[in-house]
Amino acid sequence: MSQPSSNNSSLNDSANQKLSKKPISINNTNVTRLHGINTIEINAARQMHSRTISARIPTTTTTRPNNQTSPPTFQPPRSITTTTTTTTKTSIRSTHKCNNPNNPHCPNCESIIIPAPVARMPILDTPSITIHDTWRITSQKGTILNSQQIDDWVQNKLKFNTLPEMIFGENYVKLENLKNGWELQFNALDSLKGVALNDSGIRVAYSEKWKKSKRIDHQRDQVDQESKDFDWTYTTAYRGTETKTTGEGRGLERDDELQLPMDKLSRMDKILYFDDMVLFEDELADNGISILNVKIRVMKERLLLLSRFYLRVDDVLCRIYDTRVYVEFKENKVMREFKQFEDDYNNILNKYKPINSRDPKSLLRDSNWVAENIPLVHRECESVQF
Amino acid sequence: MSLDIDAVIDLLKQGKHVKEETVYTLCLRSQELLMSEANVTHVDTPVTICGDIHGQLHDLLTLFEKSGGVEKTRYVFLGDFVDRGFYSLESFLLLLCYKLRYPDRITLIRGNHETRQITKVYGFYDEIMRKYGNCNVWRYCCEVFDYLSLGAIINNSIFCVHGGLSPEINTLDEIRAIDRKQEVPHEGAMCDLLWSDPEEVDTWSLSPRGAGFLFGKSEVDKFLSTNNVELIARAHQLVMEGYKEMFDGGLVTVWSAPNYCYRCGNVAAVLRIEDDLQRNYTIFEAVQPQDGGGNAIIPTKKPQMDYFL
Ligand SMILES: [Mn+2]
Repeated sequence: MSQPSSNNSSLNDSANQKLSKKPISINNTNVTRLHGINTIEINAARQMHSRTISARIPTTTTTRPNNQTSPPTFQPPRSITTTTTTTTKTSIRSTHKCNNPNNPHCPNCESIIIPAPVARMPILDTPSITIHDTWRITSQKGTILNSQQIDDWVQNKLKFNTLPEMIFGENYVKLENLKNGWELQFNALDSLKGVALNDSGIRVAYSEKWKKSKRIDHQRDQVDQESKDFDWTYTTAYRGTETKTTGEGRGLERDDELQLPMDKLSRMDKILYFDDMVLFEDELADNGISILNVKIRVMKERLLLLSRFYLRVDDVLCRIYDTRVYVEFKENKVMREFKQFEDDYNNILNKYKPINSRDPKSLLRDSNWVAENIPLVHRECESVQF
Repeated sequence: MSLDIDAVIDLLKQGKHVKEETVYTLCLRSQELLMSEANVTHVDTPVTICGDIHGQLHDLLTLFEKSGGVEKTRYVFLGDFVDRGFYSLESFLLLLCYKLRYPDRITLIRGNHETRQITKVYGFYDEIMRKYGNCNVWRYCCEVFDYLSLGAIINNSIFCVHGGLSPEINTLDEIRAIDRKQEVPHEGAMCDLLWSDPEEVDTWSLSPRGAGFLFGKSEVDKFLSTNNVELIARAHQLVMEGYKEMFDGGLVTVWSAPNYCYRCGNVAAVLRIEDDLQRNYTIFEAVQPQDGGGNAIIPTKKPQMDYFL
């Protein structure tokens, strides 16, 4: 696909910002203004976004106009539907419909709906699909929180101060049953509300050595102990936020006997809708990783969502909390399975078979490999049928 | 071996392969040059201060383009040249080439990623294995890392460092006394300078992770007055806006990797210090680099459909 080499050079000069020599308290209005994003940059981002949206149109469509000639001001994506050759066989009875005009053209044709490849600031991408007029699936992707938003979360929304380095606060995946007023949403804020407000006891591998080094006792200045009022690993047993939009009605109920129908889910049924996103991520100051990722795939008859929290503290431990949500559309049935896995870092590393030529430590960066080599500690299952 | 630096610069700018023996020569020359530099390098204004790069070569090229270029402008880089991005080697070598070509115009400070241990986990080592099939080039680069400065002082007024302060350091002379030519240790002043973070704390605090220091406004104020400087410029932490001033302007975090890890959506900044010490921030965005055929060469974050279970 062709993109213009862009006229960015002229765009960004205007973003040069001058601050006077002796700054400048944070409350000063001059400063807050500077935190905003320049209008011209917004237009550039919008143009980029509209290009990525048009890039999603299946390749059978007519050639896109050369962007080189596009005007400097933003134009909303051309009505994509009108330029697209409709190849749909009208005989196929529609069971799903697209809800967002930015989705690739899909007049009930079962073509794949994939969110934009790059959704850049300050644009949000919000693809959505509805199945049988009952199940609506929506996902949204944005950028990481800015400083003001982080301050707001710290002061008003969460009870601990040190948030993960990357919070994709506008990202979410939402499953709704429109007829029964039920919804399940996965988002970063609610997941972080699940972080414990006490000490997990976990320390990085060289902590003991670090603290024992005599220098701390001989400090000229007093050193405060580490704060123990939150779990710095950001471990969260978040399983999504369940809401009964009518205030009553059915909800998920515990039934550990249930098993996900792996036979049905293993079928290579055509995927109508797919998304994959990070809700938050922190590299633990280069001592490992703490990441919450959500993936969803929607097929004609069912959907599967996997929300995975993965924690790796180098040379200490690995932990995986998996939440799987399965919906069988026709039966109006939802199942949610929650699994906790945990083991010492070295136990997992020892499962590495030398036949495999990969660097064993790189395997521990792959949560899928770890998930196959880590013992299950706890499992729960819930379900609801409407 | 003779070394045509300008030719190597051209190769690097295009992201093309540089021969192992060329890298070897380049690293050796750089080592000789860096060896003669002090732990805290003196730099004159005007100068442009740049934060983390993390292997985002194309954004580094944008940085030079937006800020005047090394032919005309002096630069201080605050470290973290490698890891995470796909072009750690090219980014680092480009900076070394510029250092050799224009020794007075560019100062390279060591970041916490410029170590053997961290590069093994966060991408640089893997990148070298992928590009060369062996780790020689990684070893050459690591030897250069050991010679990078620990800080810089601009017009005796602005102290530049990758991470932050250390409870073991009161004066710049104490930094000058460190034996820096080694792998970054897990503890001690050298480690703190590369790792510590500013935070709203009342006094020196331990990170909840159990290693690493946090320092607050009182530590910054004390350091500024003891050393008669007016600003600490550091990098090390991602900032959505590209830069963040704290403690009444006594400290600034500068971040120069836009759309970090190709998905954060943040802008990047560099800080230009004028002769009168006025601060000018330049903000820039990520580029979408393309190959000769107009294809994106950085993998887009288009979700890879898979039948996950
Ligand atoms: Mn760093």
